[in-house]
Amino acid sequence: MGRTAVHPVLEDRPGKRACMLGNVAIARGAVEAGIQFFACYPGTPSSEVGDTFASVAKAADVTFEYSVNEKIAVEIAFAASLTGARTMCSMKHVGFNSANDPICVLPYVGVEGGMVIVAAGDPSLTTSTHEQDQRHFSRLAHYPIFDPATPRDALEMTKFAFAFSEQTRLPVIMRPTTRVCHSSGMVELGPLSTHRNDIKFTKNPQRYVPIPVNSRRMRKEVIDRYKLAERLLAESSFFPRTGHGRNGIIASGVAYAHAAQVIEDLGLKGDVTLQQVGAYPIPEAVLADFLSAIDSVLVVEELSPLVEESVSLFAFRQGRQVPVFGKHTGHFPLEFEYSLDQVEDAVRAYLRLGKRKTVSVTVPDLPARPPVLCPGCPHRTSYYLARRVFGKKTVYCNDIGCYTLGYGEPLHACDTLLCMGASISQASGIARMTGQRAVAYIGDSTFFHSGWPALANAVQANDEVTVIILDNYVAAMTGFQPSLTTGRQDPPGGAPEGGASLSIEEAVRGLGIKNVYSVDPFDEEATVDALEKAKQGCGVNVIVCQSPCVVNERRLRRSSDRATLEIDAERCNACSLCVRLLGCPGILIVDGEYVIDQDLCDGCDLCADVCQHDAIKKVEVETT
Amino acid sequence: MESIDTGQVDMRKPSGWRICIVGTGGQGVLTAARLLCDALVEGGHDVVSGQLHGMAQRGGGVQASVMVDCGISPMMGSARADVVVGLEPAETVRALPLMSSQTAVFMNTTPVIPFTLGQQAVLGSEEAGYPDIAGLESAIRQVTEQVLTLDATRAATETGTVKAMNLIMLGCLLGSDMLPCTPEEFWKVVAQRVPPSLAEANAQAYNRGVAMGKNFQHAGIGS
Repeated sequence: MGRTAVHPVLEDRPGKRACMLGNVAIARGAVEAGIQFFACYPGTPSSEVGDTFASVAKAADVTFEYSVNEKIAVEIAFAASLTGARTMCSMKHVGFNSANDPICVLPYVGVEGGMVIVAAGDPSLTTSTHEQDQRHFSRLAHYPIFDPATPRDALEMTKFAFAFSEQTRLPVIMRPTTRVCHSSGMVELGPLSTHRNDIKFTKNPQRYVPIPVNSRRMRKEVIDRYKLAERLLAESSFFPRTGHGRNGIIASGVAYAHAAQVIEDLGLKGDVTLQQVGAYPIPEAVLADFLSAIDSVLVVEELSPLVEESVSLFAFRQGRQVPVFGKHTGHFPLEFEYSLDQVEDAVRAYLRLGKRKTVSVTVPDLPARPPVLCPGCPHRTSYYLARRVFGKKTVYCNDIGCYTLGYGEPLHACDTLLCMGASISQASGIARMTGQRAVAYIGDSTFFHSGWPALANAVQANDEVTVIILDNYVAAMTGFQPSLTTGRQDPPGGAPEGGASLSIEEAVRGLGIKNVYSVDPFDEEATVDALEKAKQGCGVNVIVCQSPCVVNERRLRRSSDRATLEIDAERCNACSLCVRLLGCPGILIVDGEYVIDQDLCDGCDLCADVCQHDAIKKVEVETT
Repeated sequence: MESIDTGQVDMRKPSGWRICIVGTGGQGVLTAARLLCDALVEGGHDVVSGQLHGMAQRGGGVQASVMVDCGISPMMGSARADVVVGLEPAETVRALPLMSSQTAVFMNTTPVIPFTLGQQAVLGSEEAGYPDIAGLESAIRQVTEQVLTLDATRAATETGTVKAMNLIMLGCLLGSDMLPCTPEEFWKVVAQRVPPSLAEANAQAYNRGVAMGKNFQHAGIGS
């Protein structure tokens, strides 16, 4: 694919209409507002915000980093704000939680340069451990929160947010959900900002040090600033109302886009009063205006019934008897994202339009296509060898990354999972209580993200744990962002320019752990030897399995030369050992015959090692 | 066999064009959607495009929608698709809830067999085999008669690169004259984006698709 000369985020054509991905639109909004600093830790569905800045930061004169974790991204972005810079940091809701410590105190201290925290949500848990509604943080920690329905909203709200943040001295949250992050829609490009805030840190400890004597004062100030935010939002363009009629619909986030679509598709445009809630706190003036225009209301919002409760409470306070329909009336569920059908059904029920007609058809059972570790993935080798040595009774605590796909048949590498870094702490807890050695699996990026303190904790307690660090030199799951070990790969796999890279082995030894082994998991002898030593050893043992992500390798080298394997049908007696031990998608069983999928096979050799009948052989092939 | 509900459009036909492209990872679903978006935006249309894909790098199901002059939701409602372009047969049937009697379907008949089918049997868990293609086609024909099936994978291989399969399928779509974009206008957008070394094989594949699309009898969008 050819590339256009100018990245759409940097295109200087005000007024141009473009179809833009939600996450890219956020980056564009920030560039139009004159952003000067950006930090993030990747996490689906937020990753493309950071990846966009990784491409354009230099040209846009933005100081950029992939941080070691979200807490650091927030802290460093906040510090940049204190120097006057307009700053942004981005993460998914799960990472947002791991940054809650600074996030909850930030509004007290207040910003200098405008600060926007992108905290993407993932209703329906497409790639998350849980679903969560970040809009609660508006009340919880005094954040103005923007809730875009479309990429256009995402751009306009982000652009507005920086000056608004400076005016209120509050950091603001941008909360797109997966459907907004990963959908493309029409935006109109605005002028690129030529304005840059002056950079200077002026000492002012009374303002920047939230010790109780100052925090008590800040506590009162933050309430005033939150009220100011509400007044400013009331004058903003993010609460549009369309249509007429005493039947009202109020909606927020992507659910607003669905509601507007349903009204249009049903030919009801103009007959219903449709109110968008684009930000929180919802200004009372907006609610008052809306309620005066309608006699009843259907609330359309995903996850928590925040708008629903705000509307009910406000109507109650005003002494208005307004029937409010939504989650509490069963028009919508509390969980998961809404489909367009669900919204249509609720609107039909609310307006008594009669049910949507459906027809029933019978279809053959369709095969599932579950996600699996890629062919040639080094994690598969590590899992296979570790299980061979540690056996099936050992408890395997796993962590967040591609390697979580070791869950289930046939690798059985994931008995517990919780959150980033928890594999090591969970292994500690289980080993300490059962008296049996437990194994923790964790990737390089996750290890530095938050596995590191848990390892120090295990050392302090002298827990009987073996920590297997799966170092593939990259954050593969979220789109191959660099990790702290990226630059150590030989040849280097695109380390961040000027950035240092760390040795996990040296770092781990620095904690006082003696039994540390660095191995290439495709070197069976050395890996098994290290695993055996770790099994016999006392206290904390660490094995660093170093081998690059195969997909990233292919991406970087763009090489078409590779080896694949072949199964000799004469020798193969279909014993199924390779499948039962490895579950590699490159091995197909067609009418009982075992064959290697030449398109998928990466030539890693593991199945050839496992085969007892010497039936699997390497062949050199060239692919286009 | 399983019974599923598909919506039936009983109200007036909404405005615009709704296209759904489905297939498996690596087949070029997202690229096809992007090309359509670019061409239609260049033609002055408003486009909203959504996507749904699993975590697998390759082999997982992928669904992308391209909605032209329709509105602002990135989702497609049941039975709302004007066209379904299926790069893989089972994945095409998975999109059945989006189809109505008004929907035109282009389906590639070469399956991508999930590796799990054979392996599941070995590992002892029950899993049905890959359904036969004729059965998949007749499942679709329960809902709509406007179906064009073709072996686009083989046709692409014949033109020199299997990777051009998505272009054959897009050729069918553009050749059918259902979109507000001519086959030539669309090719201009593609030509800007393919490496010169593949331009000829791609053009050949695309034109083959266009020819097939031109012969396809359909009710047309908005009829």
